[in-house]
Amino acid sequence: MKLHFSRKLLGIPYAVFLLFFVIIPMLVILFYAFTDKEMHLSFGNFIQFFSDPTKLSTIVYSLVIAFITTAVCLVIAYPVAYILARSKMKKKFVILLLFVTPMWINFVLRINAIRELLGWIGLLGEANYFNTIFGMVYDFLPFMILPLYTTMLKIDESLYEASSDLGAGGFTTFTRITLPLSMPGIASGITMVFLPSMTNYVVSDMLGNSKVTIIGKFIYEYFGTNWHMGSMVALILLIVVFLSTWLTGGFREDETVRGANL
Amino acid sequence: MRKKRIGALALASLAALPTLLFTAGCSGEAEIVLRVFNWEEYIDLGGEDSYEYDYEVNEDGSAPPIIEDFEEWYEETYGTPIRVEYSTFGTNEDMYNQLQLGDTYDLLCPSEYMIMKLAAEDYLQPYEESFFDPEIEENYYIRNVSPYIRNMFESNRINKKDADDTSTWSDYAAGYMWGVTGFIYNTSYVQLDDLTDLGWDIMRAPQYKNKVTTKDNVRDSYFVALAICYRDEIEALDRSDPEYGVKLAEIMNRTDDETIKKVEEIMLEMDENIYGYETDTGKADIVNGNIWLNFAWSGDAVYAMDLAEEEDGISLNFFIPEECANLWFDGWVMPKGANTQAAQAFVNFLSRPDNAVRNMYYIGYSGVIAGDPNDEEYGSMVLDYVKDCYAVDPEEAEDPVEYDLSYFFGDESAVFYAEREQAEYRQLHAHYPTEEVTKRCAVMDYYGEEANESINELWSRIKSETLDTWAIVVICVGIVLAVAAVLLIRFGGKIDFFRLPPKKGYRLVRQQNMK
Repeated sequence: MKLHFSRKLLGIPYAVFLLFFVIIPMLVILFYAFTDKEMHLSFGNFIQFFSDPTKLSTIVYSLVIAFITTAVCLVIAYPVAYILARSKMKKKFVILLLFVTPMWINFVLRINAIRELLGWIGLLGEANYFNTIFGMVYDFLPFMILPLYTTMLKIDESLYEASSDLGAGGFTTFTRITLPLSMPGIASGITMVFLPSMTNYVVSDMLGNSKVTIIGKFIYEYFGTNWHMGSMVALILLIVVFLSTWLTGGFREDETVRGANL
Repeated sequence: MRKKRIGALALASLAALPTLLFTAGCSGEAEIVLRVFNWEEYIDLGGEDSYEYDYEVNEDGSAPPIIEDFEEWYEETYGTPIRVEYSTFGTNEDMYNQLQLGDTYDLLCPSEYMIMKLAAEDYLQPYEESFFDPEIEENYYIRNVSPYIRNMFESNRINKKDADDTSTWSDYAAGYMWGVTGFIYNTSYVQLDDLTDLGWDIMRAPQYKNKVTTKDNVRDSYFVALAICYRDEIEALDRSDPEYGVKLAEIMNRTDDETIKKVEEIMLEMDENIYGYETDTGKADIVNGNIWLNFAWSGDAVYAMDLAEEEDGISLNFFIPEECANLWFDGWVMPKGANTQAAQAFVNFLSRPDNAVRNMYYIGYSGVIAGDPNDEEYGSMVLDYVKDCYAVDPEEAEDPVEYDLSYFFGDESAVFYAEREQAEYRQLHAHYPTEEVTKRCAVMDYYGEEANESINELWSRIKSETLDTWAIVVICVGIVLAVAAVLLIRFGGKIDFFRLPPKKGYRLVRQQNMK
């Protein structure tokens, strides 16, 4: 048999990667979630999760924290991206760079710096939830700005001209042109901020002095003691994440959406 | 063409030659591999931070890691080359997970409760009898281990859950480091009287609200809450009673439902009052003044006090609460199937007093090795090291006190003069507490599978904010409604049910027909 080289063969390394690092681990999580300590099939973890107010509260708290973080990020990032995309400034990439540079600095270092800063202001230990959200906004802001910026950059200038030709004011232009056309950027920004802010417990541990428990920390702690419950929590988080991605349209294959992802 | 190919083949085989030779050389001498699994930063790694002693140093003056020295020593002593595969873990639970995943090791260094758990689950291989024979020259551990530690290891059963199993800690474990728990406190803000009056209850004291931290792990926090809960009972015990230690240990290892209920209330109040839970930020936080009191293990306390001495304007002391403190130790155990000969040799090598001092100096904790009065070369090294650090000349020092460590060193010469400060509140007090202090300490056992689970659940209730049921229901309904709204906006137009009825004169066109 003669082996023909086809371009499809180039996909094999990635397929192998997917199999070993995505599909098999998912199946392992699924297996652990629905077994008990003796490895028998069991729905005990599932029932226990939904009958324990502590676990449900943690999910609710994580959702609320993630929601506020995302909302704040969006409110800050949208005007920035809009101004940057629409301005005729020659050196606007410098400003963009300033927003993106923190991403190049080590994450733990950044969080430690913020911790020092908050301690200096006197908020550390006083306002744990505020600190956590503050840290997350700081950390995830670039992930919101970039997709917004790239989508807005792609909006055709002639649309704005047409809009003003037809007598639309600034507000109408915004609601009829900018906002609808930047929707894909908003959607991908939301997915990229919402998901990590439910699980990134380094921020909540460092800035909330471990007094704020989010779902990621919960999973971590369970994996120290009870893998089965840990897997169940991870599975439920996966479902929540899947739902929210689906709702924000992350799975649509439109040209615009794909362009907006980093 | 053909020639070229032969040339390439020859070249390739030439390139492979050294590899072949190398592997052949190794298999010929049968190199042993010793897999050691230890805590992070829990052994001398050489370099410039190493203890300066008269052993061989590298050309640049830095010391080789102790593991390399072991490899050399082993080959010299036993004539077989050995290679140590050294890996590290961050928590006892991480280590346990690695074991469960099927990783194999020859030597592990877990804490006391994890050793008990491993023993109860039949993971461990006992030490060989020859390990305890003081006549064998290489048996440094048994000759040099402190009589205090040895007695503790020999008098405690390792598997308390199984009444038939009479084996003790010493059958399965050789000690490595030990210490107690207490508070590091900032002397400018914390009144010593408050500490002596309140003890562990300072965690709930309103005057120290947001100024005290505890560890972000369930066992340490549970211990503190237990000590607060049963303080009266502990203080009612008679200290001179020979059974005092046993009675204290019973109290400090209670895990019955009623205790858990009481402890939960105390822990919730602690949670309200404390600054936060930490695993390694505490030392920095107390040095830069964010907090005044930090629950600490003795080795960390020594480190923090050393650090504070280098900074200006901050003075830290260590306090071990009067009622009770936790006595902990980490020890070397061998999992089933380990290479016992090499593993025991490793333990013995680390127990040779000069190496014990090196490790202690490097990691800052107190080792279990005391020394052997009959050994002229190494015998007094540990005691000399301690005296070097803390002993003062009573004629010259301002306020010297006699410090008696004979219980630990098993040697009358282990009594020396130290500054009162050092002896009562500072490094010496944390490094080597007196016998009086160790007597009021209790070891925390492995709770057992069932109790462990309920205590972990308790911990998750403390750490998470629990909402009322109605709030959860309201929020869940809200989320469902929001999801429904988004769905309606996105897909509503495509479903006939949601579309408005057509105006007069028009007819409804089904979705499929429109395309």
